[in-house]
Amino acid sequence: MFEINRSTNGSIHLHGRLDAAQITNAKEVFSQVDDSCVVDFAELSYISSAGLGLLFATQKRLVDKGGGLTLTNLNPHIREVFRIAGFDNIFDIDE
Amino acid sequence: MAVMRRGFRREIDALDEIFRFLGDFVDEAAIDDSSAFTINLVVEELFTNMVRHNTGGGEVIDLSIERVGDDLHLGLIDSDVDPFDPTKVPKPPVAAGISERRPGGLGLHLVQTMVDDVKYEYERETRQMRVSVTKLLEP
Repeated sequence: MFEINRSTNGSIHLHGRLDAAQITNAKEVFSQVDDSCVVDFAELSYISSAGLGLLFATQKRLVDKGGGLTLTNLNPHIREVFRIAGFDNIFDIDE
Repeated sequence: MAVMRRGFRREIDALDEIFRFLGDFVDEAAIDDSSAFTINLVVEELFTNMVRHNTGGGEVIDLSIERVGDDLHLGLIDSDVDPFDPTKVPKPPVAAGISERRPGGLGLHLVQTMVDDVKYEYERETRQMRVSVTKLLEP
């Protein structure tokens, strides 16, 4: 189960498990992001390379326009996946 | 505990069933949270890789999982497919900045990094590939 929503201040909130079978909903939301914003992982328990690829593509698009995503509240397992993926160099990650 | 084995439809949407199957195993085998996360991720990456790249393969992909002491053994078997060795896929440039990075290639890199051994075998007569994974569990 995966849910994604955007709050009135523009931040994106992820809930549940972001796997390859759940990526379509996330793509719809991230495709509408055109400026810097915060992505809150507090309620996300799992992510695979499908989700990482979507975040990377969004970040690349935003960085080209002078912006970027700030990722916050990653659980230790997801944080480790980001480290292995080399995403410490790619994203602003709030510890 | 005995090996758990099941075939899953060659569709990305089969992931929900796969995660339920793995959840049952994790509970029965008393697997720690960190290893459970890794098991889910490794199986998803290998399974989706087979679904996407072995498009002419059989209807199901077989998954087996077993705990032997502190060793976890995973196996995925795909039949009627061409050879494709996932252990030979080049590692993405993870130390590079965003301008040098390209999308893709992360899944198999995560697999190789998060487990202790990945072995690929291909049998020409049956056109069957098997990927075997070993992970040392938390003591």
